[in-house]
Amino acid sequence: MDYFAGIDIGSTAVKIVVIDEDRQVIGNKTAATGALVYKNAQTAFLNLLGEIGLERKHICYLTTTGYGRKLFPDADETISEITANAVGAREVGKPFGTIRTIINIGGQDSKGISLDENGNVTNFAMNDRCAAGTGRFLDMAARNLEIEVSDLGPFHFNAQGTPAAVNATCAVFAESEIIGLLGNGHEREEIVQGIHFSIAKRTIRLVKRVGIEELIYFDGAPALNTGLVAALEDELGRRLVIPPLPQITTAYGAAIIGLESHRFEKQEREEVGEAVVVSSGHGCQGCSCG
Amino acid sequence: MSLEQQQREIETPQHRHARHQGMEAGEVLDTVEKAFAGNPENMRYFYDLFRDVYCNGIKPHPGKEMIGTMCVQIPDEIIHAADGVPVRMCNGFYTDEEIGGEFMPAKSCSLVKASLGMLKSETNPYSDGIKVIVNPTTCDQKKKVAGMMREMGYNVYDMELPPVKESEEGREYWRRSVRKFTQEVGKLTGQKVSRKGLKQTIKKVGIAQQAYHRLNNLRKQTPAPILGKDIFMVTNAYFFDDLERWTAATEALCEEIEARVAAGHNAAGRRSPRIVFTGSPPVFPNLKLPLMIEQADGVIVADETCSSNRLLNDMVSVDEWFMYDMVDAVADRYLKSCTCPIFTMNDDRIRRLIELYRSFNADGIVYQAFAGCSVYEMEQRSVAKAMEKEGIPMLYIETDYSPSHSGQLLTRIEAFMESLKARGRLK
Repeated sequence: MDYFAGIDIGSTAVKIVVIDEDRQVIGNKTAATGALVYKNAQTAFLNLLGEIGLERKHICYLTTTGYGRKLFPDADETISEITANAVGAREVGKPFGTIRTIINIGGQDSKGISLDENGNVTNFAMNDRCAAGTGRFLDMAARNLEIEVSDLGPFHFNAQGTPAAVNATCAVFAESEIIGLLGNGHEREEIVQGIHFSIAKRTIRLVKRVGIEELIYFDGAPALNTGLVAALEDELGRRLVIPPLPQITTAYGAAIIGLESHRFEKQEREEVGEAVVVSSGHGCQGCSCG
Repeated sequence: MSLEQQQREIETPQHRHARHQGMEAGEVLDTVEKAFAGNPENMRYFYDLFRDVYCNGIKPHPGKEMIGTMCVQIPDEIIHAADGVPVRMCNGFYTDEEIGGEFMPAKSCSLVKASLGMLKSETNPYSDGIKVIVNPTTCDQKKKVAGMMREMGYNVYDMELPPVKESEEGREYWRRSVRKFTQEVGKLTGQKVSRKGLKQTIKKVGIAQQAYHRLNNLRKQTPAPILGKDIFMVTNAYFFDDLERWTAATEALCEEIEARVAAGHNAAGRRSPRIVFTGSPPVFPNLKLPLMIEQADGVIVADETCSSNRLLNDMVSVDEWFMYDMVDAVADRYLKSCTCPIFTMNDDRIRRLIELYRSFNADGIVYQAFAGCSVYEMEQRSVAKAMEKEGIPMLYIETDYSPSHSGQLLTRIEAFMESLKARGRLK
């Protein structure tokens, strides 16, 4: 059996997926990126391999993506997170139909990606140098409200009054905005709902730049926040496809790209009729493809 | 006072600025030269020229009085005819942007801030010989920065440009501006613009433009024989280089590139997407986006910017070699062909982009807007809509001179290249 790994090194978390040649997920892991990016990613990768009973040599092809993709010298290939996200969403979304729009909210950015019928990226938009409306923003808000990030969903649905008006144009200013709202006697639930609607509006404005076509796929760790999902669906007036593991779509896409690159290279080698020459230090030392 | 504090020598802001500026230019030159294999031999002249002026403190026109121009709209032909040395003062240094930024609103154009900052800095390569700064009444920021330059003691000449280029009124307005400039510039340099002199300089500039055309046309070839970053270096050198020396160096480069074309040489990768670059102008050393595109396996085969193609593409067309005909012909060349978004209507720009995309066999367009350049930011919508209608992929990037968000930019550029390659596979 051949195995392929995708490592998505994001601003906040490292997401790792190992798949087999049938594109089945054998294992996945999420760890903090931290400051020692390569060391943390490498440790998490080796830990995951240990958990699923594989060794480094069993991985035929390793693809990295995410903002830290170039900081992992061990990789066979690097790919932008936009392409990897599209490939992953196309694959994960298959049971639901054809994904045409991806809304991705990450630790420090948000994106809208539009795909054609074949799952190729036709257009994309990204937020600009600002953490408003991202995972970092939700983290900060939860901290200010003294609740866990996992409580944001339940708080959203428990709001009694109208959602508080949160401008949320800036993660730094929003902090003082939240303190102000608390001072004015707003319930925390209302503020949470207000934050979710504010992020939803902001995100949809961004995604509208690429056009919103069904099916719409929402991923990134904030997709675990049921309150935010509800706010996005209400603002859009449409249903979203939420994958079972929204954090790892991009890493999964990277692994698939690796699998495809590996097959392509193998085919090329067979076409030229050469013996399999392993040029990179890590490719195909123990896997069965050689 | 601590011992460390006592022993440490204070580095003045001026000194630190000079040091940082040399480093900024040096780093970009290193990337331009060393990050790419197989640079043309004849690019050496241009690489050295920039290193001399921006790293080694060699003045481009020692002992000569220069006429600073703040825009591509100021006619070089007329300045040369008055025996003046035109130098384009649109500046690309981040270190200067930081200085200029102190005097301008936070959300203003990097280029304008940097141009103002250069005049305030001591490492300005033109500092000791600027006779006058000719400033066009184009965008609001350039108009208003003129006042600040006056306050700094510079002699600033406002060259009035109309906001509409289609109308007969606009054309006449601009012609009158150019006629007036022709008289005034002679008074400034002490050399009146004569019929013979102007005829000569129209031809001289025309020869330089022909050299540019010869070079630019080679970029239509597949595979691409030269990278876009080198073309930006060539056209940026035109900002301040001696006209005849520049022409000779460009012609030498043409010969080499023609030989490359004959040999089927590919300056880019095997599957590099071919890019048309448009929008806010890349000015040395702010070649951030062009370099990123070409380091991400793209190749810039054409551009629609005022620091490159718009600077040299269109030539003066004279009917009769009489003074008034020549001056009006110069005026028309500058107004009619200008595709700057400061004009109310700018359909010409869209037409030109489509034309460049097709004739240079491109795969996509990258549109740069400097954050704070409201006209390029606003025009993005109509350009994007027109390109979508034509089925031309376009990436819009809002940025400035700061290196701080290069990770995000690179992600976008790589994703755009990947999507163009995927399209190529489908074709």
